[in-house]
Amino acid sequence: MTLVLLVPLLLLAAACIVLSSRGDSEHARMRLAAYPVGAAFLGAAATLYVVTTDGPVSIRFYNLSSVASFAIPIGFYVDRLSAVMMTLITGVSVIIYNYSIGYMYQDRHARRYLAMICLTDFVLICMVSSANLMMLFLFWQILSYLLYLLAHNHAHAGTLAGAFKTFTLLRVADTAFLAGITLTYHLYGTLEFQELFVRAADTPVTLSLWPGTDISGATAVTLLFFVGAMGKSAQFPIHLWLPGSLFAPTPVHALLHAGIINAGGFLINRLAPLFGQSSTTLHVAFLIGTLTAILGASMMLAQNDIKKTLGFSTIGQMGYMIMECGLGAFALAVFHLIAHGLFKATVFLNCGNVIHKARLEPHFPHVDDQTEERRLSRLTWFTGFVTTLFIPLLILLITHGVLRIPLLESQGTVIFLFFIWITSSQAILTLTRLRQVASWKVSAAMLVTLLFIVFVYLFAVESFTEFLYPNSEEVASYFGMAALPDWLFDLMIVTATVLTVAGWSYVYMSAHGMSLRMPPWIDRLRIRLYLPFMNRLYADEIYMLTGQTIMRLAHQLDKRERGWSR
Amino acid sequence: MMDATLISWVLAGIPLLGVLASLPFMADPGRLKWSSVVWALISLASIGGFAGRLEAPPEGLLPLCLLPAAAAISILGQPVHEPYRRSWVLTLLFLGLGLSALSSPPPFSLLSLTLLLGLIAGLVYRHHSALWPRSWWGIGAYALGALCAALSAIAEAPLSAVASLLACAVLLPLVPFHDGHLTALTRLPGSLPSFIVVLLPVIGLHGLGAAMTTVPDTVAWTVSFFALVGASYGALKALAQSRVRLLLAYGSLSFFSILWWFTVASRAVTPRSALLVGTVGLATSGLLVAWQVVRTRYGDDVDPQSISGLASGMPQYAVLLSLLALAAMGLPPFGVFAGFMGLLLSSPFPSLAGLFVTLLAWLAASWYIMHMVQRLLFGVRRPELRYTDLLHAEFASLLIVVLVLLALGLAPTTLFASEGTPFLTATGESPTWTR
Repeated sequence: MTLVLLVPLLLLAAACIVLSSRGDSEHARMRLAAYPVGAAFLGAAATLYVVTTDGPVSIRFYNLSSVASFAIPIGFYVDRLSAVMMTLITGVSVIIYNYSIGYMYQDRHARRYLAMICLTDFVLICMVSSANLMMLFLFWQILSYLLYLLAHNHAHAGTLAGAFKTFTLLRVADTAFLAGITLTYHLYGTLEFQELFVRAADTPVTLSLWPGTDISGATAVTLLFFVGAMGKSAQFPIHLWLPGSLFAPTPVHALLHAGIINAGGFLINRLAPLFGQSSTTLHVAFLIGTLTAILGASMMLAQNDIKKTLGFSTIGQMGYMIMECGLGAFALAVFHLIAHGLFKATVFLNCGNVIHKARLEPHFPHVDDQTEERRLSRLTWFTGFVTTLFIPLLILLITHGVLRIPLLESQGTVIFLFFIWITSSQAILTLTRLRQVASWKVSAAMLVTLLFIVFVYLFAVESFTEFLYPNSEEVASYFGMAALPDWLFDLMIVTATVLTVAGWSYVYMSAHGMSLRMPPWIDRLRIRLYLPFMNRLYADEIYMLTGQTIMRLAHQLDKRERGWSR
Repeated sequence: MMDATLISWVLAGIPLLGVLASLPFMADPGRLKWSSVVWALISLASIGGFAGRLEAPPEGLLPLCLLPAAAAISILGQPVHEPYRRSWVLTLLFLGLGLSALSSPPPFSLLSLTLLLGLIAGLVYRHHSALWPRSWWGIGAYALGALCAALSAIAEAPLSAVASLLACAVLLPLVPFHDGHLTALTRLPGSLPSFIVVLLPVIGLHGLGAAMTTVPDTVAWTVSFFALVGASYGALKALAQSRVRLLLAYGSLSFFSILWWFTVASRAVTPRSALLVGTVGLATSGLLVAWQVVRTRYGDDVDPQSISGLASGMPQYAVLLSLLALAAMGLPPFGVFAGFMGLLLSSPFPSLAGLFVTLLAWLAASWYIMHMVQRLLFGVRRPELRYTDLLHAEFASLLIVVLVLLALGLAPTTLFASEGTPFLTATGESPTWTR
């Protein structure tokens, strides 16, 4: 019990140590604060062990029967999900904090910045270990404000505008979250997680929005929570705040992309038993996730700035994560967010080095060697073929035979396998085009590595799912609830297959100088699409226009009134 | 042992005594200011002392405690300037009348209220300017409020109930009777606006509890409609304002309208309602005091557009203003959030559309208040401006507001009143929901 409380308190203590530093002792205090941050990580790891062996830990500082009388019902509920998140957040924080000490050395605002990092960690830990929706929402909102503070610089107009946009958009999502909480309390009479899940399962409620339009209580509530999750996880169309906050110091991005942005995925997982009761919400999540993944990845390809590229890459990955939730694979989403968090934190912490190197060397990144053979070897094409078409077959067989996953009954699993197929195709296609697979040794090593990674990934995901959701029936019920209509499912599979094979054929034929009979409108479309994607689909302009329209309306109303405005 | 009536007289009498005791210092603004603050604090201490013996109204004792605290804060935050002397004495006078309106038995409470509204109407008239023709509406609103308060004391039901409701609509501003609120906050000098924004709404809430139980359904429906209109109107108007005091006046109107909507839905006033009204008033009061700090340094008619970069030049001010803004826009862990959440969870709401409007109004506050704060605090530091951070009295005043708002956000509502039956679920009670 003490251990659970110790983790956030250590982070708070670190913030206080940094804030109390003045003058000469400033740097020494900042280094000193790294110890409580490290201790918090150890505490989180120990909590994970305790929770794994002894079950969830629950601490409440309020009376369960009168939650409404308390503005802030402080309590902690740490199960395996919370403990995993606590370990991830504190682990990433240790790295980021230590990196930041050097990164912000002799900066005027280093003290404020490092204290904010510790405070953000504290808020994140409290959020993921909340015992009830109210406490979760409370820290969720504080996080919105901290993000605003972390993303802004007093004297830089672009940063200020980005920070304001971040805050405004996150508040829109927060409002939906608040509406969800209100509706939940009115429908089920509780905000305690476990009690809420039991009541929602035992007493299905129907809401009548207007005569003739009924909606299940679980659907209404989860849709609102989903909008809340969309905000923090930068889902389309509330994704704008993430690229808008890219002026912030690089370590902030590491924390943002590795920790804060995962809040949406965490929320959906925390409320998985509630989301698992509404196929409508899961389908909406799948749709939004897919859309975000496609748009995020497409916009990423058209950016010319390393931070923006990474930002849109995160948006695409978050789309995948939400898509996984929409397929009912909640544990997989957590696995994904951990993997992505660690990867993206590394990339962001290293991107400064890349920029620095690029400034020192005019030819960095290196231009293609013109003397290299223009044509790709047969081996290259063979490797590409094997990876894109052979490996998926192998995975399918192994999944079916070894893991005994009933493919025909589980649409979600089939879609994940397609995921793997498309992702590996994309990876191999990129490497092929970069002429990295011309030797058979490289090809063989790459294939073996890819196979190893895929199988380890599959086993790890399976084990992680068992770890987070030990009840296999519960997992099966989520998959069942997320199942799409058969025609839609078949259409998606066929479309994905056709697109992948067509992509490969196009690249192969282009590389061999074969003339392709493409309708001219396709070429025109490609060129036309590049500009909007480079300009991020003009979403910033649309956002600005919406804001201006609201302001114009407000000013018109103001001017129509007598007296005050004259 | 003193009985409840005598206690209420004592409570109202202390600030009035303070007025008399402060009059000899009129020639010395410094001593007058401190004397007024001390009497407000004595009033607060007396309420604390008598709290156990007072009969708690449905909204609890929080409003009684907040009034002297708001008076002390409002006076403390003012600069020691001669033109403000009268406002400090009037603050004490209004405090006495307000405490009387809240704690005295009916005929006296209504008389105190009539006198209070009459005095404010007179003051607004005194500060009326031809450049602000709309302030006539404000004078009219307060005159109507005073008339209705008097009428509710002498008339029979149902006229008294309607008169009482109208008086409440003037006190706790509701569209279309909100002009008094706007005029008082923008036209009155010194400590008066920052005190009146707490005083009148709190008294209005006190009267509303009794009034709402007697009004017919049609009137309740109309009030509910105006409350939703007021919430959106206040938010939209606040968005369009460049003048800080007008922005705060419209913003608080929006929040008070939200309270009206919930109160009409539940037909009752609870300690949570008092928490929302008290904290919205106090947060607005704090922001008005904070704006006064800027006016003291850069002039009465200063345009906020012409000031920027206060965060680097006035760090203490920047931190306190940011915290006050967070409280005012309804963010945790401050009292406004606690009050708003308390109402959302404890009151039934008649329609989802209404809930949507109230949530939008809550959201809009994040926009206009954050915009105002960003405009003042951030941006490039201007070389032509001289930045002077908070003086001790100003710092203390703003810090107390922040701490009180924080305490009210963290404390259980049972601290000021016994908890009523908690609202568990509206299922089956609300016409829109069916199992």
